[in-house]
Amino acid sequence: MSKQLTEKKSIFSVLGRSPYAAAVWAIVWKDLQIERHTKQTLSVMIMFSLSTVVMFNFALETNLDAARNVATGLLWATILLAGTLGLNRSLAIEQENRTVDAILMAPVSRSAIYIGKVLSVTLFSIVLEVALVFIFIMFFNKPLWRPQVLLILVLGTIGYISAGVLITSMTIQTRTREVLLPVLLLPLSLPLILPAAMAVASYMFPQTPTWGEVQSPILLVIIYDLLMITTGVMSYHYVVES
Amino acid sequence: MIELRGLVKNYGLHAVLRGVNLHVKKGEFVTLVGTNGAGKTTLMRIVATLLKPTSGDVLIGGWPLPGHADQVRQHIGLVSHQALLYGDLTAGENLQFFARLYQLDHQTDRVEKALKEVGLAARKRDPVSTFSRGMIQRLTIARATLHEPDILLLDEPYTGLDQDAAHLLDSLLEREMDKGRTILMITHDLIHGWNLSHRSVILNRGKIVREVNRGEASPAEFLDIYAENTGRRAAARVGG
Repeated sequence: MSKQLTEKKSIFSVLGRSPYAAAVWAIVWKDLQIERHTKQTLSVMIMFSLSTVVMFNFALETNLDAARNVATGLLWATILLAGTLGLNRSLAIEQENRTVDAILMAPVSRSAIYIGKVLSVTLFSIVLEVALVFIFIMFFNKPLWRPQVLLILVLGTIGYISAGVLITSMTIQTRTREVLLPVLLLPLSLPLILPAAMAVASYMFPQTPTWGEVQSPILLVIIYDLLMITTGVMSYHYVVES
Repeated sequence: MIELRGLVKNYGLHAVLRGVNLHVKKGEFVTLVGTNGAGKTTLMRIVATLLKPTSGDVLIGGWPLPGHADQVRQHIGLVSHQALLYGDLTAGENLQFFARLYQLDHQTDRVEKALKEVGLAARKRDPVSTFSRGMIQRLTIARATLHEPDILLLDEPYTGLDQDAAHLLDSLLEREMDKGRTILMITHDLIHGWNLSHRSVILNRGKIVREVNRGEASPAEFLDIYAENTGRRAAARVGG
């Protein structure tokens, strides 16, 4: 048996392909295929975001200045809440028909499964954010279509989804998962969202801020991302096997 | 091929498996029977590397668990009463995903061959959610054997199948036996399990209470043995 295993592993070496990367890509590919067929995750996230923005726009219609002032916070709040919907949906798919068992029985690292899930939900969230930026420009007339702003949004999303996949994997089997996820995830995301919102807010003025002005919040976001990814990679097998 | 020595599994204070000893030889087909709550599924999930034992030794193909789970996973396939398939993906995409996950070579050819073997080649592009229970179970076997495992674990694979689908599953399992796979199956259908396998093992309250080789007893005698060892008057089909 061990000989057979060695033979199978040597095929990877011959192909010059990383088994870890192949496992990550398998998870991402599968999630993209499911989304291609069902369009359930993205459509739910986008519809939720659109209705939230429209609702706030009408609520703040009488005070346009106030609306513009809260735009950055509203943008992040919408991303976070839509993100919880995406996370729940993406992890719930694995509970239907217990496909999670089939995945866990594959000879792949648990951290590869974690990274794959983080990547796929992050991809969905980035698509959502591009749509959201356009919606916000339309409703609040803010200069959001800037590479720096998009970069901060992506960095913030990576940290949020990294923490989210870990928490969702813990809560997904509970009956109160829809309630538990935001209750646990939102407080955990505060150290990420505060600097991320500050950094985005700096770009809401006509003049572009210098690197020195946004350096601290952006570095905090990057540190949070690295911390969450490391925690996820190191602890995911405990989460799914306990 | 499968060796369990003094296997214990507790959930908190509740002991589910209480010192199970079992040896399944290479190429052998063993059926595990017992009443509900006897610990059959827990035992199967430990062998499938999905659960860690509380104590005891588990050796699969000589590899100890849970320490060498990654090596063992390459060599086991699980067919459960749950599909372990994505209803939103097509039959071909489901197998393609598992071929990628197991990093098999010649993935497209393997998928085609596996679908052909279970008679689903014509339904390759159809979503699994449109399949009948029997078709899903055939696809489940294709998924579980795609990486050509040495050991096939079957957890109540006949649940929900009509007679035709059950016959088809029988022939698929016979084919898997002919390939020399070691098979461990849980079933509530005592006679069916008895007829298919080389040996039936009775698990009661977390312990193996009796092992009976097919040549040692007739099906009717086996039902009596089962009743004696579980305290349940046996019908051909028990539990649920």
